[in-house]
Amino acid sequence: MTATERAKILLAQNGIFVALLLLIVFFSTLNPRFFSFSNGETVLLQIVELGIIALPIAFIVMTGSVDLSVGSIASLTAVISGMVMNETGSPVVGIVAGLAVGLLTGAINGFLVAYFGLSSMVVTLGALSVWGGLALVITNGATVTGLPESFRALGKAMVGPVPLQLLLLVLAIATAGYLLARHPIGRQVLAVGGNPRASHLIGINVPRVRMLLFIASGASASVAGILLSAKIQAASPTIGSGLEIQALTVVLLGGVAFSGGVGRISSVVAGLLFVGVLRNGLIILGVSPFLQTALIGATLIAGVAMDSSVQRLVNESWAKRGKQAMQATSPVDDSHTPSDEFAQSSAR
Amino acid sequence: MILSDRETPRLEFRSMTVDFGATRALSSLTLSIQPGEIVGMLGHNGAGKSTVLNVATGAVSATDGEILVDGKLLPRKLTPKDAIDLGLTVIHQEPALAQNLSVLDNMFLMRPAPATRTARLQAAQTALNTVDASSSISLHQPVSSLTLGQRQMVDLARSELAGEVRVLFLDEPTAALGDQETRALHDLIREFAAQGTAIIYVSHRLPDIIDVCSRIVVLRGGILVHDQPTANLTVRELARALAPELEQDARIVHMPGTTVLEVELASRLTFAENEVVGLFGMAAGPQFAVLDALFGLTHTPPVAQLDGMPYRPSTPRIAIRAGVHLVPGDREQDGLVAAMSAADNVRLPWLFRRKRSNQSTSTTYVKARADLAILGPGADAPIAEFSGGNRQKHLLARWIYPSRPRVLLLAQPTQGVDISAKSDIRRVVRHLAGEGTAVLVASAETDEIATMCDRAYVFFGSHIVEIPRTDDFDEQLLHTLLDLANLPNETKLEPA
Repeated sequence: MTATERAKILLAQNGIFVALLLLIVFFSTLNPRFFSFSNGETVLLQIVELGIIALPIAFIVMTGSVDLSVGSIASLTAVISGMVMNETGSPVVGIVAGLAVGLLTGAINGFLVAYFGLSSMVVTLGALSVWGGLALVITNGATVTGLPESFRALGKAMVGPVPLQLLLLVLAIATAGYLLARHPIGRQVLAVGGNPRASHLIGINVPRVRMLLFIASGASASVAGILLSAKIQAASPTIGSGLEIQALTVVLLGGVAFSGGVGRISSVVAGLLFVGVLRNGLIILGVSPFLQTALIGATLIAGVAMDSSVQRLVNESWAKRGKQAMQATSPVDDSHTPSDEFAQSSAR
Repeated sequence: MILSDRETPRLEFRSMTVDFGATRALSSLTLSIQPGEIVGMLGHNGAGKSTVLNVATGAVSATDGEILVDGKLLPRKLTPKDAIDLGLTVIHQEPALAQNLSVLDNMFLMRPAPATRTARLQAAQTALNTVDASSSISLHQPVSSLTLGQRQMVDLARSELAGEVRVLFLDEPTAALGDQETRALHDLIREFAAQGTAIIYVSHRLPDIIDVCSRIVVLRGGILVHDQPTANLTVRELARALAPELEQDARIVHMPGTTVLEVELASRLTFAENEVVGLFGMAAGPQFAVLDALFGLTHTPPVAQLDGMPYRPSTPRIAIRAGVHLVPGDREQDGLVAAMSAADNVRLPWLFRRKRSNQSTSTTYVKARADLAILGPGADAPIAEFSGGNRQKHLLARWIYPSRPRVLLLAQPTQGVDISAKSDIRRVVRHLAGEGTAVLVASAETDEIATMCDRAYVFFGSHIVEIPRTDDFDEQLLHTLLDLANLPNETKLEPA
């Protein structure tokens, strides 16, 4: 493989980092206030919930499924934990109730997809409607207010100089990165997405892998719902709406193949920052919130287009390289050694 | 104009060559077939049989050469539609019919249809009558409710509707048919031949070819190596034409060790250390179901004993834990994860079974690569970028490193790989057997069984016959097939 081809592959696989950089430069030139420490912190705080939701969805997409119900699970969690909190006066009981909602709804999704073989797209789209509707029914459409003071403090809690929520996001990223690149479950996830039939023949418990991921996704959605309601000091029954589209945008911009089998966490994090910067930059520029929603949707489509063209380019370059190497006499060619920790899992 | 005492051939190939990239699938084939002739075409996978069919029906285009039908040169760029209009028809093993539609709808799918429903019904009924299927098949039943044999009848009737069938290609037509359906199909083929249709009959089922064909051609590596009337052939000649490398293959008889695996089927099959045992049968035959059962892939587990203990695997996980490993026949669908790296594909099953692997996984890959002489890009290149033979070696490596299997189940392990990869695979499998693994090779190819195995069990319907290793092992395989098909066991083959 020539140097230009190698560069092309590198650029294609890491295009999201370049795009992120360009976006930051773009907003910085338009508004000098954008590139500041305090705005950087604002961006990070704005993407905490989205990141916590997007990471498990990245895993689910890697197995070839999708979870569209997370927005509604976050909303349902927020209102139920808020109501329980107000009823019992204990934030802990409220949070536990909220997490239970996430685990249960995630388990229902997982059970229907993994053991009943239903399409994840259909199941979770239905669940999006069911749980979103339920959140509206139990609150009669009204926002749950008057949450305990100690719970509201959670939204502003600091661990040393770092906000608690940010620490949670970093922890989630580190866990996801470790699981995908270092833990056997990472290879199982990529194998299930790449070839489910072969995975079964290897001895992977395919339904269990799927089930666990949907439960993780539900639980993460409920964590996001709780964090959101602590942040805005109230639990609205539509608090999480639209999160599923944004999370999917993050995942696809982050280079996870929609058909499954390919992905790495570092790129997903870059995708997350891209969406965060885009949202923040649009707010600073004073773009209408309605137009922002439209632009996020357009970004999702751009992400899908990028996904397919990157896969094609990488495959073509590898094919060329394969032909050249076939003519080589040496049986072992290890000139191409794994470089990036996370890149190991994304052998495209 | 040259006068000839022979009739104009119905179908004629003149130095037909087909290249796929750097691979020559068919090399200067010259073959002519008279009206009413039934020609059996034999050859192993990759010998070029399908290419002959595909080039004559416009599915692939020839690199060089000419095709003539009734003395008329076919256009260079033949489309499948042209082929149908010319009366060149292929009946595949799995007929290309729309499952969800009725027989009637299928009859006129992509075919000119009469304007009125009555006319359509009448035309379709007539077509069904010509294939003697009007009593068993209703025009209104959905195709999904038909047996495979009935679907072939519908496919044949459908080609009748397009006009005269001048050349009929049959691609493994009887592979999944019962005896009665096979007989019915053969009768029908003879009727077509009697009306002047030229027939090319591709099959692995030697008894079927001998039963119905008046002439046999053998392809090997894209070259026509044999062309004789059936009556002139002997089993020995046929075996030699199919697998000439057997002549040079040294016969070493290995002494089997302790019995490892016993399986109760129609009879009791035993498998021991230090031996490679073949399970031979037809394409997609029952020998492959035996492997699936032993790997926990069937609903009812097999009745078997592993090292003297009852062995009833209900999932692959249980089989793997017991040391029984399967290298599946369909390596892309059932084996490899295309987007994953070569090294990951090899160590995938062992990444989450730490206890079983005491070697580090990275040295395992380097060792596997050296042992199997794997060529191609690096360890972290996607497996899809390796050639077929090297992909197959990766799949084999997965199931022998780092954890040596007690029983290794191989489904067509050298199918579709080049000659040097074949010999590498044979060498490694033999070495493994010598180290105490019981190896089972299921195949539908006589040469694969004959070159890899010490002895074989032959599956024919519900019969299982054991063939010990002898000097004429390959001929024994063919003989056994003929015996089982209740054909005369003389050295001379006579068409029925």
